[in-house]
Amino acid sequence: MIYVIDHNDSFTHNVVHQFSLFDKVECDNYNNVNRLKLRQAKVIIFSPGPGNPKNYPSTSKIYHRYKGKKKIIGVCLGFQQILFCEGAEIVEQNKIYHGYQSPVKVINKNSIFKKNKIFKVGRYHSLKLKEPFKINNFDITMRCLESKVAMAFENKKDNIYGFQFHPESFLTNNGNLLIKKILST
Amino acid sequence: MSKTNQLENINRSRKSYIIYKSSKGFDLYTDFSKKIVLNNRNIFRFLNQKIPTKKFKETDLFIGFFGYELLNSLIGVKVPQQRDIKFPKGIFYKPEKKISLNNKLIYNPKIKINFKKKFKINIDSQHYKKIFDKFKKKIKSGETYQIKICTKYKMKSKIDPLDLFCRLSHTNLAPEAFMIKDENYSIISCSPENLITKIGPMVTTKPIAGTVKKSKKMTKNKALKYFRNNLKETKEHNMILDMERSDMSRICKVGSVRLVKEKVVEEYKDLFHYVSLIKGELKKKVKNIDIIRAMMPGGSVIGCPKISTLNLLNKQEKENRNIYTGSFGYIKFNGDLKFNIIIRSILSFKNISEISVASGVVVDSNSRHEFNENYIKAKALIDLFK
Repeated sequence: MIYVIDHNDSFTHNVVHQFSLFDKVECDNYNNVNRLKLRQAKVIIFSPGPGNPKNYPSTSKIYHRYKGKKKIIGVCLGFQQILFCEGAEIVEQNKIYHGYQSPVKVINKNSIFKKNKIFKVGRYHSLKLKEPFKINNFDITMRCLESKVAMAFENKKDNIYGFQFHPESFLTNNGNLLIKKILST
Repeated sequence: MSKTNQLENINRSRKSYIIYKSSKGFDLYTDFSKKIVLNNRNIFRFLNQKIPTKKFKETDLFIGFFGYELLNSLIGVKVPQQRDIKFPKGIFYKPEKKISLNNKLIYNPKIKINFKKKFKINIDSQHYKKIFDKFKKKIKSGETYQIKICTKYKMKSKIDPLDLFCRLSHTNLAPEAFMIKDENYSIISCSPENLITKIGPMVTTKPIAGTVKKSKKMTKNKALKYFRNNLKETKEHNMILDMERSDMSRICKVGSVRLVKEKVVEEYKDLFHYVSLIKGELKKKVKNIDIIRAMMPGGSVIGCPKISTLNLLNKQEKENRNIYTGSFGYIKFNGDLKFNIIIRSILSFKNISEISVASGVVVDSNSRHEFNENYIKAKALIDLFK
């Protein structure tokens, strides 16, 4: 079972439907997380959402508790939440991307995706990862081709993945394949 | 008796009635055997009631509206104490008679009303700019991605609602237009936007984001080019599509939610709209109340993400929205639904007419432009009061 923690977002159920193509999915609000479901889940997803990772301490707790024990995937705010838990700074950006389609590029040869591959993705984010950023086992694997902002990370050792863009958006090309690959590694 | 006379006779009889745009013309509903005034408590009973459907007649439906505040309370969003004219939160009627009318509504009012006063706006441009700048900061910090500031115009006067509605439908034959005339209030609307159509297990929503006026220079092809090249309109539209897909995904089967039409231009009498169509198949056991909670209030007129944006709006707004950004439509006894989003509307209650309008703040919008946009939207309705 895949357990989606919803941060009151208006895109969460697109995430739920996308993951439901591959496994049974449960989804609860971050205020109302079920411990039993958490324990039973094979994969935990942190949904997109408004605001800043520091507004969601309960999600941070879940991250620290299950890091290394279960596969964890973060989307948009979820991506920032994981990095924030690892000590990264999440900051406002000058140019804001809401409803934007941008090309991203796979930049890391260790990525589970093919290096130098370029594809279009849908973005909805005010904030971004502050760089330089260096944390053990975490690799930035994709960047926006235009702004160079970090768009994905992978931590293969602990099985943690994150996307700053929205794989579930209709603006993202082949989002389902992306998720399939992440789930099967 | 001709159909026109029928309309005039019903209007003269002082019976309450409702007119709703149909695909071919208008449907008029009257002879109401029930009137249900909704509040935060009885709405659950109203939506969950089981109605026997042995022989289904075309008047076997409840027709009416949900106000904005009621829709907030249905999804657990609180609206703080606001200035309030004590207008009902929602009203539904059971009609016993339905008459089909064609697109050309003809009505010659016996008495011509002279409108002496002028509409007054509740927020001036300076105040508007303050709210605008505040929300822009909220976008920068990620609390909302898009938010619609509402302004309200009011005027005290008696009106002849049928006259206003007929004149409005002559200049703007909107696909979701409707009118309600009851003893103590009336609503006139040229809403263009369908929020939910449910037929059997299939549901659709048809969000609009982007409107341009028709002219000799602005043809359908030009309109499409204009929208495609306008990054701001495109981004707003994209955001609404992903939001509506997500709302539909709450109630629809996995894999069934599809963008059937993506960003196409539809032509109306005076306007072009940039619209999309999303379709899905309902999960088993989904009830009407689940559909309404998933879809309402309609995201395209609120902003995104819905819950945090509603909270920001409700904290900001000092005056009850009443019907504005609520939904009007019907619930058939066979389970089918059709609801619009109440915009471009006039609510007349206690001899005061109010017109609410809103336009969106996204990161690259401009305060003066949006304030004027609001005025242009209101003006089409204000001009009827001549």
